Formats: sequence, structure tokens, C-alpha cells
Amino acid sequence: MTDSTAGGTLIPDTSNQRTSVTFVRAKGSDLSAVGEPFIWGMGGALAFGVVMILGFLALVIINGLITFWPKPLEEVKLADGRSFVGEPIRVERYRPTPDQLAKLSDPIRAKISDDGGFADRSLYRIGNYDYYNNDFQWVADFEVSSRSNPPDLFLVERQEWGVFIGRITQVRAGDEVVENPGPVAVNAHFAEARALRAERARIERDEIGEINHQLNAGRLSIRRAVLDAGGDENAPSVKAVSDKVAAQRVDLDRRFQEAGQRVNVVREKDAKFSITLTEVDGVAKTFPLSNLVRFYQPNKLSLGESLAIYGSRWVEFIVAEPREANTEGGVMPAIFGTLVMTIIMSLIVAPFGVITALYLREYARQGTVVSIVRISVNNLAGVPSIVYGVFGLGFFAYILGGNIDAMFFPEHLPNPTFGTGGVLWSALTLALLTVPVVIVATEEALASVPRSMREGSLACGASKWQTIKWIVLPRAAPGIMTGLILAMARGAGEVAPLMLVGVVKLAPELPIDATFPYVHMERSFMHLGFHIFDVAFQSRNSEAGRPMVYVTTLILIGVVLLLNIFAIQVRARLKKRFQGSQF
Amino acid sequence: MTDMAVTEQSSDLSPDSQKRGAIAYKRDKRTKRSVILADQIADKVITIGGFLVIVAVASIMVFLISVTLPLMGAGSITGRSEFQLGDAHGRILSARMDENLTIAANTADDGSNSAFHFQTGATVGVPNFDLGGKPATAFARTLRGEDLAFGFADGTVRLGRAELKVRVIPADALPPNLKPINSRDQTDGAAVYSKVPGGQYRRVAMEVTLEAPVQVAPEGTAILHLDYRVGGPAERPVRAFVTVDSLGTTRLNFAFSRVNMMTGEKVTTLQGSELPSAGPAAEITKVLMNAAADRVIIATRDGNLRRFDTRDFKNPVLAETRKVVADNASLTALTYLNGETSLVVGSSDGSVSVWFGVDRKSTETSDGYVLTQVHKVDGHKAPVSLIGVSKRTRMFVTADEAGDVALHHATTSRTLLRFGDGPDRSGLQTLLLSPRDDAVTAIGKNGKVVNWMISEPHPETTLGSLFGKVWYEGYAEPTYTWQSTASIDSFEPKLSLIPVIFGTFKASVYALIFAVPIALLAAIYTSEFMHYSVRAVVKPVMELMATLPSVVIGFVAALVVSPVVETWITAVVIAFAVVPMSLVAAAFLWQTLPRPLALRYDGIPKFILYFVVLFISVWASMQLGPFVERLFFGGDFKVWTTGIGDPCPFTLFMVLPVSFMVVFLGTDRLFGLRYKAFLRSQTYPGGVEIVRWLVLSTASFLLAWAIAGIMSGSGYDPRGGVVDTYVQRNTLIAAFAIGFAMIPIIYTIAEDALTSVPEHLRAASLACGATRWQTASNVIVPTAGSGIFSAVMIGLGRAVGETMIVVMATGNTPVLDWNLFNGLRALSANINVELPEAVRDSTLYRTLFLCGLVLFAVTFVLNTVAEMVRQRFRKRAAQL
Repeated sequence: MTDSTAGGTLIPDTSNQRTSVTFVRAKGSDLSAVGEPFIWGMGGALAFGVVMILGFLALVIINGLITFWPKPLEEVKLADGRSFVGEPIRVERYRPTPDQLAKLSDPIRAKISDDGGFADRSLYRIGNYDYYNNDFQWVADFEVSSRSNPPDLFLVERQEWGVFIGRITQVRAGDEVVENPGPVAVNAHFAEARALRAERARIERDEIGEINHQLNAGRLSIRRAVLDAGGDENAPSVKAVSDKVAAQRVDLDRRFQEAGQRVNVVREKDAKFSITLTEVDGVAKTFPLSNLVRFYQPNKLSLGESLAIYGSRWVEFIVAEPREANTEGGVMPAIFGTLVMTIIMSLIVAPFGVITALYLREYARQGTVVSIVRISVNNLAGVPSIVYGVFGLGFFAYILGGNIDAMFFPEHLPNPTFGTGGVLWSALTLALLTVPVVIVATEEALASVPRSMREGSLACGASKWQTIKWIVLPRAAPGIMTGLILAMARGAGEVAPLMLVGVVKLAPELPIDATFPYVHMERSFMHLGFHIFDVAFQSRNSEAGRPMVYVTTLILIGVVLLLNIFAIQVRARLKKRFQGSQF
Repeated sequence: MTDMAVTEQSSDLSPDSQKRGAIAYKRDKRTKRSVILADQIADKVITIGGFLVIVAVASIMVFLISVTLPLMGAGSITGRSEFQLGDAHGRILSARMDENLTIAANTADDGSNSAFHFQTGATVGVPNFDLGGKPATAFARTLRGEDLAFGFADGTVRLGRAELKVRVIPADALPPNLKPINSRDQTDGAAVYSKVPGGQYRRVAMEVTLEAPVQVAPEGTAILHLDYRVGGPAERPVRAFVTVDSLGTTRLNFAFSRVNMMTGEKVTTLQGSELPSAGPAAEITKVLMNAAADRVIIATRDGNLRRFDTRDFKNPVLAETRKVVADNASLTALTYLNGETSLVVGSSDGSVSVWFGVDRKSTETSDGYVLTQVHKVDGHKAPVSLIGVSKRTRMFVTADEAGDVALHHATTSRTLLRFGDGPDRSGLQTLLLSPRDDAVTAIGKNGKVVNWMISEPHPETTLGSLFGKVWYEGYAEPTYTWQSTASIDSFEPKLSLIPVIFGTFKASVYALIFAVPIALLAAIYTSEFMHYSVRAVVKPVMELMATLPSVVIGFVAALVVSPVVETWITAVVIAFAVVPMSLVAAAFLWQTLPRPLALRYDGIPKFILYFVVLFISVWASMQLGPFVERLFFGGDFKVWTTGIGDPCPFTLFMVLPVSFMVVFLGTDRLFGLRYKAFLRSQTYPGGVEIVRWLVLSTASFLLAWAIAGIMSGSGYDPRGGVVDTYVQRNTLIAAFAIGFAMIPIIYTIAEDALTSVPEHLRAASLACGATRWQTASNVIVPTAGSGIFSAVMIGLGRAVGETMIVVMATGNTPVLDWNLFNGLRALSANINVELPEAVRDSTLYRTLFLCGLVLFAVTFVLNTVAEMVRQRFRKRAAQL
């Protein structure tokens, strides 16, 4: 009866209800027993938590999704006669400082003070960094006299210097000059110019890079030979190697020259294509057509064109390399680096975690020692990740890596090969960090396999290993999988320890590529989480990088949450599968 | 064979065949070798592997300790060599050696130089200074020992330079006919060539230059004391020296050199000023100046230091006179430490002390600074005769007249090493600490040289300096300070862990204050009051949140939340009161609903109402914010935090929770039963409750106001304590963000603990007539108490170790205050910011490892406590 006053969900019909209320009142309960204010306090706390989390997710998802959508351009005329063109980014309420207020006219000041000292302002991305030295501009609403959307304006994304906003006044292809070209006229030469740029980049990076790599390898092989000969530079073995290298060098030098000439040819061809852009206030700027990434007239776009631009920007983001100090272009190396590191980590953590759990649960004698070990392993899951980073740097990179260098790569010294941060050390560090997660999950899974099944198997004559392999592990697989996926999710999202053991702002080479030995465990790499930190805090203008940060965040959160949801699903599915199989 | 036949026969029926095969196999009665082998291998692999992983994990702590232990070590003497100096010449004034300990060179008072190979003592030829046959009456050298000045009896001074030039040359540039000295070095008589890696050679040779004499004192007045410094940038050095002549006149001179374009001759002109009299010349024992030439110190035999302020070069002022030795002792040695701020004083009673000027705003001295004895190291038994100073740290060596030598560190007031086996019992001529602090060289009066090789990698750290207060140069008192690097070379590293440990503590405490109530209340609600279908959605969502990468939370906190909070700071502050008050108000309104209505909408509609109330209260805070700001904080809260305006309103705000508790609990204790009886007799108890609540709330406000008034009246001001000057990235933001990361963890574990309270307890309580609230507050929560406690501990563990959020959302300033609106630097952030730049095995590197060790230990203890409590709780819950 009292239950119903306390807000139970089982409600009998109302007539009953009323009698019950009077009954309760007569028997000596009162309103304070229901504790309504406390319930509201608790409910409010939960609501607050849920709102914070949903708000957080909404912020990231919405900002991440709208970043690449082409926004209209606004021409803003200010009350003082100045004007500029920009992409509106956001609007916010702010509080003018006393200095700013002092410069304003009386009616505006009165209006602001009526508003409690607040005013609204908008942020515009004005682009043209090479001209304004600033990509963004705040403008307060009271400064604006009019806003319009001129349809003929172009937004041009460039390889260097960021976005340009203005009009295209001329396109030149060799002797052919088009004045005030439309998008079609520009596009006529754009593809060709871009192909030339790609060709140049390919020669410079792949061919010349390969030649440089071989030259360096030759130099190192001589040093190696000297070291092998005990430091004697005149030993016959050294002579043989250096002769061989010298012979190769002639060939490499020739190839280098030849590649350089080809680059020059491409460059000359490329120089024939140029484009002239004019800003709203008439200043013209000419640069190579191949410098363009993408251009469009934002105020003229149809929905289909908008979608196409949106899509192409996503594609660029996923597959291209970063430009402009990571604030533009793509994050392919970061995605790739995160992926490679996480996979290597999983390959390390899975066997070791499972073996340890098997040892603890199936082999070790259960006693005080094992339970202490178990508590310790549990605790290690709570040790701060940065501590693992410190350990990774001190032990893996400096001690282990230093010794590997001294033994196998003495010719590189004093430049470290393994003796500094790299993808292997990062993976090992994170493996150490996540191994408790796998151990705990596997142990739980092993514990949930009924004893009777083990005994049944053993009674049938199976050996211990056969029992584990055929009976225990298959039953425990869902739990182990869950632990592994959770470990991967944690590993993918961890940044602090990686900053000590191998993550870099910009890695020149990927950890896996087409040069022998294909997997370069010693290379430092880029990581999505560190990318966020770097672009948000270390770039020249945090505002310029912010859209990229949102998108990167979206991807990172997406990966982590998907892995987690996947883990929960796997657990649920497999739980169900084995539910009926208990004896 | 029969096996084969059976299997072949029924190979089309695979299950059958297996069964039959198994039977046939069993008949065989032997276990296959491969099975036994696999079993044995698995046994070994799993045992060894499992054991290894456990060892590896345990070794983290061992490794961290092994890296940090050398910090506490006192260093050691790693080698000693001695030999007799060759041909005897004048009294040795100064010695120097190169960084790689190839050559040690001496300059004597007749201008002759001698040098020996450091490792073997073999003589190396070096050029001499041509002093024109006149012995020097006074001598000075800069702290680095390369620039020298000689003073003469005729009142002239000659500036010179004796430099050990080091050049790396390729092997083919090596001169012929070199004489080997030892396995590494060979010599051509004047220079020493050492083999270095990469097939190159390092050539070390001394080069000397000596300028023409300049007349400083009147003709025939001997220069008795001299000090010389070269300051300013390397390309345009400012050379200054100070002289004391036999008349007792002290002069500060700047030497300007110009090369004559026509003759190529270097002409030195002097610009000087006379210092106020410092007493009779016979009393003066030493004169010192600094490289900026804005300070001159003249020491007299009785131990008085006269400090002259020469910032205005034309008008030097006697800033202060300070006695620096005991009454019956005299001053026997005096020099600047590296950085030229601290003075090391050696006295005739053998004591060695370190002094520097402390800004005491004193009126006794002309500039407010007072020379203060800051450190005192273990001295000598005999009078101190020589002091040698390190060129990179605050280490120095002292020697006494009995030839005993000791190595000290000023900042930590420690005597690191003592060398009893010196070259000469009757005293030393010179004493020198090598450029890299790896050797001490002493030359006895008998011409015997002793070199001690020392290893002193971390002189600046002791347990005391890492965890205690240390008096650093330029500070008014001993402090806890963390400042590991600065732009100048002679910087004194300040490595106290207290500010960073405090920072961790501050961030965690504020984050806990924010997160624990929300997480626990939400957990209780979820477990006890929520419909299971809603719970099936809410719980996994909260669990998912625990896996959000902290770099993302940090980014949003620092770049999105912090500007918003800065604009709306007043609204944020009052929201802490408005939001809970609104929820309670809504609860009281809800109570006035007719019961059938209340019951009908009790489930999900009520749950939605919480959100509505929450949004309304947040909106109300934003509306109220500017209003409150104008009314109580002079229109701008951030200006108010700097100390302008009345502290009373904020104090009121702070005592509000206490006064509410006092009033509500007090009335409940006094009138609770009578009021409940009264409430029962009412037809509209909801309305009565509202009235009671309004009355009591008003009373609480008034009480808080009265208390705040009294506190403000008695001079209490929250500014300077928990609130003070506002910076954009502050503890409030960090606490929000860390709290955001902690809430899901605490929530999940606490909710699990509450749910694992056996159902029969709940049922029994409800069956006895308790309401759900009574059941929750009196039965469930107390039973799950230890589980909830362990949830908070685990949450705290995560807050302590949180790295990216504190790195991003706070300014990383290592300050020691509780100011909610200021930044902080946590242990984890400290490691993250500084370790990538730290040189391997340097003091900073090891200190950062110590930070890691502290973090490890703290979280390990927290987690162990939590885990043990949780285990006990589980056992208890199972028994109930």
C-alpha cells in the first residue's frame, strides 16, 4: 500500500487508489516519507548527467558533420564604410570590454547596457591569409550596416595559404587567356594543371626519395663495414664495400640528374597555367592554376553541387595528407598510424593477456599469492596511462631500443633507430596499458565456464590442454573478444603516453610502405588523438584548425564508440548463444 | 590397420566415423604422443608466459624506482691521480682545463704559463704572458677563467686572455711526427690531439693574448686588489674591472677597445669612476664585481662586506655593510657562485656559508635588499683558503689551510664529498672544478698535483629539496617551487614536487566535489527509482561515456567550454545554487498535485519533467547572471575577483549550503515529529509543505546573510582563498572536464553496487511499509555503502591520473593556491609537458620519473583500497 504512495508503477484502478491514500494517511505516514525533494534531486542529477553527455555528443557530431558543407558567402558592409566578404562561422553573445564600449556611440551603448552588458557578434572566415594576415574576423552586430550574398563570388581552396575568397578574373593556359572565366572555363584547364602537379609530386617524392634513400643506404653500408672491421678504415672488406657503393653512386647520381630534369620539364609546363583572383576591394593575385584544390561559387550552388562538394571534401579528408600545418587537407596518415599501432598492439596484447589469464585461472594454485596478483592486475587497469608512457620511454625506447641500436644499427649512431619513440614502442606501451583489461575480461570469461563442463571433458579422457582448447576457450571466446575490443578502444583513444613514445605532429613516412622491409616498426607515426591536441593547441590559429579538429574528433569518437558498441553486441550475442548450455 | 579400415568404410558419415574412431582409439588405450606433447608444451608456455607477464607488469614499479634512486645519491669519487708539476716557477694564480679534460693549464704571478696533460701529467708547451719582467701585484679572472687581468705596482692594469681552444680536425690535417701520450692522445709539443669517433681528431691548445697596460691608479700606486668581468653579448663584449690601490681608492673601470683603422693597432680607452671610501687599503682582502658591473663588493679582513650599488655608474652608492663571519673570525675566502647572485664566504674558523641579497624592502639599505646568510655547509677544521666554483651548477669546492678539500652544493646546503688525500698538508696554491663537474684538481704549495675524478650527476636533488622548502636565489624565503628550465644558462633549477602534487590534489578535489554528488545521486536514482526499460537505455549510454578519449573532452573543455564560461561566469556560479533550488521547488510543487494525477504521471512524464526543470533553471541562471553581477559584483565578476568590491555576497554564497543544512536539519530535529503529526492532519499537505519550505529557505538565507556579514565584518574575504583573479583556462574548467570523465565511472560502479544489494532486503523493507525513498535511504544505500565508497575511490584514481584534460584545460602553471579561477599543474601534466624535452638521465628526467612513481604509488594505493573494500562488500552482499 505504501508502495503506491511512493510512486510505484503498479497502479490499481483509481477508486482503489483513493482509499489507499486515505488509509495511508490514517496509519501514520506523511508526505516527508515519500522524499519527493530528494527524488527530484536524484532525478535532476541523472538528467544533468544525461544532458551533459548528449550535449557533448551533439556538439561534436553536429560540428563534425557540418564542417564540410559549403556555406554561403556574405558580403558585410560596416557602418564605418569598410566591407569584407566571408563565410559566417558562428554567432555568439559576448561582453564588450570597457575600452570597446567607450568608443561606441551613445544609442548603441545604451542598447548594450539594456541587454545586461551583452552584445552579439559573428565570426567570419575571410580567408586570403596572404593578404590580410588573418583568416578570421569577428564583427559585432551593431557595427554592421548591411549583409548581402553576391552570387558571383568564388571560394577557392588552395594548396598553400588556405582559402581565397573573391572573383576569378583571368585564366591563362599558355597563350590562351580567358578574362572573367566562369567555372567551366577554369575547369577546362584545371584537371590538366592538377595532373602536372601530381606528376611533379610523384617524381619528387617517390623517385627522388628512393634515390636519396639508396644513397643514404650506401653511405651507411660503408660505415657498417668500417665498424665490422673493427674501426679500420683501410681494411680490404671496407674497400670492397666502398667500391661497390661508389659504382652504385654513379648510377644513382645519373638517375638523380635525370629525375631533376624531368621535374623541371613538368614545372615549366605547369607554369603555363595560371589564374588571377581578385579580392572584393580590387587587389588581384596571380598564382599557378595547379595551386588550386577546389573552387566553387557558394551562393550559386544547387543542392546536388553542395552534396558533391561535401562528399569530395570528406573523401579528401580521409585519403589525403595534411596541408598547412595540419589545419587543412586530410588525416590519412593519422588514421593509418592509429590503425597500424592499434593492430600491432592487439597482436601483442591478445596472446599475452589470454595466456596470463589462463595461467591465473587454470594453472596457478589458487591461494593468497594468486589473489594478490589478481588484485594487482586489477589495480594496474587504474594506473594512469602517463605512467606507462614514462615506463615506455625509459625502458622500451631508451634501454631496449638503445641496446638494439648498439647491436644491430651501430652505423646509424648517434642517430637513434629504435632508441627513440616509434610505432613498436607505442604499441608495446599500450599493450602493457591494456593487458590488465584483457586479463580481467578473460579471467571473468574463464570463470563463467561451468566447472562441470571441464570435469566432463577430463572424465572423458581429454588432456588438460585439450579441455582448454576444445571446451573452455570456445565458451570463453565471447568474453575474451569483448576484453580485446575494449582494449583496442582504449588503445585507440589514448594519447598521453603516446606523446612520450613515438607520436609526432607530422610523420614524413608511414609505418608501412612499399620500401623494404615494408613494416617499419621504428618509425614515429601520426595519431588521430594527438592530431586533435596538436591542431587545437599548437597551430598558429586555433580557430583555423577548429573545423578539422571537430571532424577528427568525430572520427576518433566514432571509432572508439563503434568498437565499444561492437564489444557490447558481441558479448550479448554470445551470452545468449551459450545461455542454454549450462548443466 | 583396423582403425584405418573402420574410418575408411564410413568416411561419408563423418559424425559416425568420429565416434567409431574414438572408440577404436580408446581401445588402443594409449594417448597419442602429439596430445601429450601439446599438453606439455601448453603447460610450459602458459606457465612461463603468464608468469612473465606478471613479472613484466610488476617490473614497472621496480624500473621507475631504479631510475629515480640516483637522485638521492651523494655521488662518489671515481678515480685519483697525482704527479709532480715540472719546472718550478712563480706562485700559481689560476688554472683552467678544457671540457674533455685533456689539458690543465696554470698561470703564475710572473706571467708564465704551464700546462700538463690531465690524465698523465706529461708537460705540454704553452705560450707565456710577457709581463715585461714585472711581477703582478694583483690578479683577477672571470668566472669561466678565460679572461684575465693583472695589476702592477706602478698602477697599471693589463687585460689578457688565456683560452684553451678546441677544434675538431679531420685525420688528414693531423701534423706529422706526433708523440703519443697515451692510447687516446698524442702531442706535437704545443697542442694535444685526441682521437674522436668518426675518424676525426680534437686539437686542444692554449692561446694567449695580452693587451698593453692601461694606467688606472696614479703613477706608482700599486694595484692591490682587482676583479674583472666580461659581460654583454659575445660580439660586443663589455669589459669592466674594479681595482683597489695602495691608497685605498676603489675604482670601477670600463675598458673600450677600438682597432685603429690605419695602423691596425688596438687602442684601449678607459672610463672609470671612484667608489666611496671603503676604509684603509691594508684592511681590504678582496674585491668582487659581477658581469653586469652593477654591483661591487669589497671585503675587509674583519668580515665586513661593503656592497656598492653601481647601477648608476657615475654615482656609485654604498648600499649596505654586512658582517658575514663570526665575531672572532676573519674572512679568508670569497667568491661568486655561478650566476653571480650567491656569494660563498669562507672564514678563518673554517665555516663556509652562502649569502645573497634578499628583497626585504629594508630601509637600512639603499635598494631594500639585504645580504642574508641563506645556506651553511659543513665547514673545515682549519681556515678556509680557496674556493673553486662550478661553471654549470651551484656546486663549489673549498680547501683549507691544512690541505683538506670538500665539495659542496649551495642550494641544498649539502657537503657532497670530502677529499682528505690532498697534495700538500701545508696548503694549496689553486683549486679547480672542471668545466663538466667531473673532476677536481688541486695543486699544492709543493707543486704536487692531485686530480680526483668525481661522479656527481644530481647534486641539486635530495629528499629535502624534492619535498621540502628550499631557499632559492632571489626569493625572500624558502619556498616550494617548480621551475625546471629558463632561458639563461646559469639558471638554478627549482625541482620541488610539492606544487605539482598539490596541483593534482587540487584538480582531483574540485573534480570530486563536482562529480561525486551527480554520479551518486544519479546512480541511486537509476537503481532504485527508474523504470527498468529506461534503465536499459541509460546505463549502457553512461558506460559508453567512460570510454570517451580524454583528449576529446580536453579539447571541448578548453576551446569550447572555457570561452563560454568566461562570458557567463556569474551565471555558472549562481547555477550551483539555482539548479538544485529549482529542482527542490519543482518537487514541492509536484507534491501539491492531486494524488491520482501525481501517480498517473509518475513514470516517464515525471522523468521528462526533470529535464524541463533543468533547462528552465539553466535559462533562469543565465537571465539572473547579469542581474546578480550588477547587484553584487559591481557589474563585472572578473574584476570583482581581483579584489575590488564587497566580499560579503560571495561569502553568503559559500555559507549557503551550511546554513541550509543547519536550518533544515535543526528544525527537523526539534519539531520533526510534531510537524509530521500536524502534516498528517492537513487536507492539503502539499501546500503546507511549500509554505514550510519557503519559510525555512528564507530563514536559511537570512542566517547565511548574517553569518556572511559577521565574517566579512571580521575581515574574511574569499578572494585569496578559493576564488581569486580569473584566468581563462582554470581549475573550474578542468574540474568540469575531469568530473565529466569521472561521472560515468563512479556512476557505473556505484550503480552496480546498489543493484547487487539482494532483492529480498528491498522487498522486506517495502513489505514493512517503508516507502521507496525510505527503503533507498535507510536500507539500500547503507548496505551498499562500501561499494559506493570504492566507486568514489576508483573515480578519484582516474582523476589523479588524468593527463590530457589537465594539460589542455588548465594553464599548467605550478602554483600553490586553492583559487578555483586559476590554473594548476598536475603531476601527469608535468610529465607530459616536460619529459619530451628532458635529456636522458638528467636530473630533470629522473625527477619526472619520480613524478611518475608518485602517481603510480598514489593510484595503486587508492585502487587497492577500493578493490579490497569492494571485495569485502561483495562477500557481505552475498551473505545477506
